[in-house]
Amino acid sequence: MRRLFRVAAAVLLFAFAAGVDAARAVIAVTSHGVVVATAGSIRLEGGWNVEGVRNPTSIETSGNRVVVLDAIDDQAVVVDLDTGRTSRFATAATPVAAQFAGNDLYILARDANLVQRIGGANVAVAADPAFISASEGRVFVYSRTAGMLQEIEGDRIVRQMQLAPFASDLEIDGTTAYLAYPCDARIRMIDLSTMQPAGELAVGVVPVDIAFAGGGTAITARVLAIADPSAKRIWMVEGRQSLGKAVARGFVRGLLGLGLFNRSSQFPTGIDRVIVSGSLRVAYDSSSGTLYRFSPSGSTAIATAVGAGAFAVSEEQIVWWDGERIHTVE
Amino acid sequence: MRRLELPLLGLVLGLALPLLATSAHAQQGRLASDFEIAQMERQLERSSGFEAQLSGYLNLGDLRASRGERTLAHANYVKALTAAESERTASRRDSSITRYAIATSYAALAEAKLGRGAEAFQLLEESVRYMSGDAATWNLHASAMRLLSRPDKAGSAARNAVAIARLETDSVAQRLDLAVYQYALATALIENRQSGEAETLLVEVTGSLRSADFARLNREVVRQEAFEIYSSARGDVAAYVSLLNRTQLRLAGLYESRGEIAAAREQYERVLEARSDDVTALNALARLSASEADRSRHYAGAFEANPFSPTLVRDYKRWLEQSRLDPRSIEPSSTGARMRRALAQLAAGDRVAARDSLEALAISFPRNETLEELRREAESPAVATLPSDEPTTEELRDLLDAFAQMTPEQRVELDARTFTSKALFDPAGEIDASEARTLLASGAIDGLRFQFVQPTLFAGRFDTSTPLRLTYQILGVTRSGDRPALLLEPLRVEAIR
Repeated sequence: MRRLFRVAAAVLLFAFAAGVDAARAVIAVTSHGVVVATAGSIRLEGGWNVEGVRNPTSIETSGNRVVVLDAIDDQAVVVDLDTGRTSRFATAATPVAAQFAGNDLYILARDANLVQRIGGANVAVAADPAFISASEGRVFVYSRTAGMLQEIEGDRIVRQMQLAPFASDLEIDGTTAYLAYPCDARIRMIDLSTMQPAGELAVGVVPVDIAFAGGGTAITARVLAIADPSAKRIWMVEGRQSLGKAVARGFVRGLLGLGLFNRSSQFPTGIDRVIVSGSLRVAYDSSSGTLYRFSPSGSTAIATAVGAGAFAVSEEQIVWWDGERIHTVE
Repeated sequence: MRRLELPLLGLVLGLALPLLATSAHAQQGRLASDFEIAQMERQLERSSGFEAQLSGYLNLGDLRASRGERTLAHANYVKALTAAESERTASRRDSSITRYAIATSYAALAEAKLGRGAEAFQLLEESVRYMSGDAATWNLHASAMRLLSRPDKAGSAARNAVAIARLETDSVAQRLDLAVYQYALATALIENRQSGEAETLLVEVTGSLRSADFARLNREVVRQEAFEIYSSARGDVAAYVSLLNRTQLRLAGLYESRGEIAAAREQYERVLEARSDDVTALNALARLSASEADRSRHYAGAFEANPFSPTLVRDYKRWLEQSRLDPRSIEPSSTGARMRRALAQLAAGDRVAARDSLEALAISFPRNETLEELRREAESPAVATLPSDEPTTEELRDLLDAFAQMTPEQRVELDARTFTSKALFDPAGEIDASEARTLLASGAIDGLRFQFVQPTLFAGRFDTSTPLRLTYQILGVTRSGDRPALLLEPLRVEAIR
């Protein structure tokens, strides 16, 4: 039976009418095409198919490499996109995220409080490291319950700062880090050049996920798209801007934490993830697995019962995996 | 329900009811956990709220599991999952994200109790996105990971819970919560072989629970004559009683594992002071007894409390191998005594008598899988061998015959493996033909009967008159009519091309 490959999950789907097929798959758009990792397999559409991990929980790509993590069995598989050649690693406990930085690959092992540089040493970080991101060649880790942002260079921590704990997302744009705090309804900003707070924005009811949605030029402020499942909206908000830019634009609301454009997109269900790439804007409701395409004027559901990691967005296309095949919207 | 999921004590809880270990009750065939089961069933009847329903089903599942009633336990965990999923849907619709996150945590716990690790993990990650600052959320995370045999992940989550709970300890309720999380952390540490820190935590928790901090709560326990032990406790009194019981048992187990027998015995006896028929404590005291008379007495007490505890049965069988006890020395005056006698008959090699004894017990307890396994053992002295990934019929028959003889290591390996066979299903009831779904529940693999844990709906229309390829996990042994059958968890069904 090809139409259903996780029977028990399908029973629950039927029973609850609102679940998401738990069949594990993660998907990424790479320079070589779409890569799908399912239980035990990683394959490039129209290309190689290699042995993967039992529970693919996340995927990251850069240049000609892709890494698939199994946060349950503590495994990582790196695949060379050109050849399909794989390297397999046993990681420390619970590898939840990976980050390429130049030639280096960093893996965040949350339950070991470690960042593992493949081919290098382990770096001990603060409790509950949940997010890793790189900007301008620098790697940053945010530890959620500790409320600590740490910068890693090579195999050591070079700077760190204490900030509010319990953020649900970290995104970095140049020298500014943005963190979403769903319980406080705040987006907090950090100046990474000084490792100092750079203001905060009050946004919505439960802001949980951030994406960059344009702006950030010499005369425009960075625009943030923020998913709020309680309000069932994506809030479009101006991010941090320098005094010079603000003055050039004739106002200083960004500096005052009043960055709301007063623009939002409403959804029929509570969306909690947002991805923007080029002109494509996608929101996702984890509870129902509904994938939406949205614009300032409205939203359209394009797929349902999509797994949390089973969709990806590039500048040209939205792709998702339905358990059987890849779907594409351009 | 205060979100105080207490990690279980191994596979089996020490669940028993004081004062029921009398011959009068025993002769009526009552088990010690009957009272808790009745309480939970009443709770489910009287209250339709999410928390009452959820805790009712979770506790019923745990209570059933402790009596070797795995199928009934499974059914209750499925109901708990259904309740949690309904709450997830409703809360999301109502834009209540806190409710959604809590329900998601409980859905994860139910999935973990059902042994579905990947589904549980995905839900836990979803929950913690919204409530990473909530200690109870991390505690549920720890409980689920521990159930899935991931003590390193459980330890990390429990440590988060403890760190967060330590920030606010002004009220008794907050201190009680902290104690629960410390107990969960200690449990994970023991399983991670970090017993030093675990002991410190357990000593701190038992000391705290017996301190003046909890004096008022302790008085309330006495006033209410509260004794029930639950894994999903509702209210401070229930949480206190359950936590004190579990913490002492855990500490005692730690001492016992180190060979500190006097310290272990002291803790087990403290457990019995609060609850005279705790099966875990009685079984342990039997193990640790210096005299055969004491050992026999404690085993007798333990079997009166819960005659079908798999851990107790295992330990008793080990002792019987050495003691060469004459089965005729046990008067079959109660359910517990009848079980002991049957086990002694098995150990003595009198399989005919053992079979008769067990079949008589099965009339009173027809859905008990501990009995089912022992009956199979009485029928076959085979040594268990795990089948290959695409097993032959002989391999499956051998497993069916020798299921009760499997070692704990074999059971762990079996739980982790999946198998594929050609199966001929019993005629299916097709539901909703427009959506092409097929309901399948049972069938045979080359004549060997199998049954799913519950009827399962498959996408696609299947012709059950021809064999289909079934991928599955083997959960245990059950009966199909008058024949033994494999109890399976289906993972995939495909037409054979």
